[in-house]
Amino acid sequence: MFEDSQLSKFFWFAMSVSYAFCFFALYTFSTIPEYVLELNNTAQNNITMKLSNVRLVIVALALLLYPIILFGFFKYAKYFTVALTSWAVAIYIDDYFVLSEIIKYPESRLISLAQSLRPIMIVSLFCMSIELVFRPLTVD
Amino acid sequence: MKDKKTNNREFTSILWNAPDKHLNDKDYIFQSSTFRLVLGFINLYGLILTILFFIVKGNLVGGVNNNFLESGFLSVLNARAILLLLLLMSLNISAYFNYGFKYVCLIMLVYMINSAIDNAVLFSGFTHFTDRPYFAAFNASRPLFIIALFWVMIFHKGNKKSIKIA
Repeated sequence: MFEDSQLSKFFWFAMSVSYAFCFFALYTFSTIPEYVLELNNTAQNNITMKLSNVRLVIVALALLLYPIILFGFFKYAKYFTVALTSWAVAIYIDDYFVLSEIIKYPESRLISLAQSLRPIMIVSLFCMSIELVFRPLTVD
Repeated sequence: MKDKKTNNREFTSILWNAPDKHLNDKDYIFQSSTFRLVLGFINLYGLILTILFFIVKGNLVGGVNNNFLESGFLSVLNARAILLLLLLMSLNISAYFNYGFKYVCLIMLVYMINSAIDNAVLFSGFTHFTDRPYFAAFNASRPLFIIALFWVMIFHKGNKKSIKIA
């Protein structure tokens, strides 16, 4: 499977890092203890959790669709990867520069860890995009 | 001063190769008139939207709900207007050089959809049509802008790609 797709081992490593982060984020936000939510029951936290739930649904869909597109419709994999990378960058910019006064994540160690690991996932997605976009087309 | 070393044979050679330069002009890809029209619409829409952002920021457009700008929406509008302008500039540069247009278009499309989702989730209670009619009209017509971006991305004629023979 990996030999036929002509992608480097680094691509698979970057993809594994992205998947690991996404599963970690899904786990973190779906298992927030109730007392944390009750302690941080402010309007800012509620609106942030609402936004996070919407984003996590998109992440879950992307996790399901990505292997299908990569192995079934390889021609479109680069566009899908670029779209995911730009979305990851867009939500990062949104959280830290655009919506910084409006949203506030609940105080939890796991959430803080997930937030601090986000740049790593963005870098992995960026590497995947570069590999898919700049690899030459091969013909037998 | 005429270079005597240049003989007629060399002149003939230079003139013979001249049409090849004109042949290279055919490498330029001319986009369809519909494409140019839609790209013009995207530019116009983006510019008007940005101007409107700054008008709303300056409280120059009359509105019913005075709490509209006090809900933290002002800083969001400001950042979004600047980002939209930067993306619009990148789109035009990539269209001019015919390089990476589809990717810039895709990035802009994702950015617009993401900001629409953010606005719907965070400010759904503040963006009623009656609050700011001009602004709400642009928000309502956002799908048109997204469709135009998608159309331009699909029908753009890119450069020929090099093929590596395995």
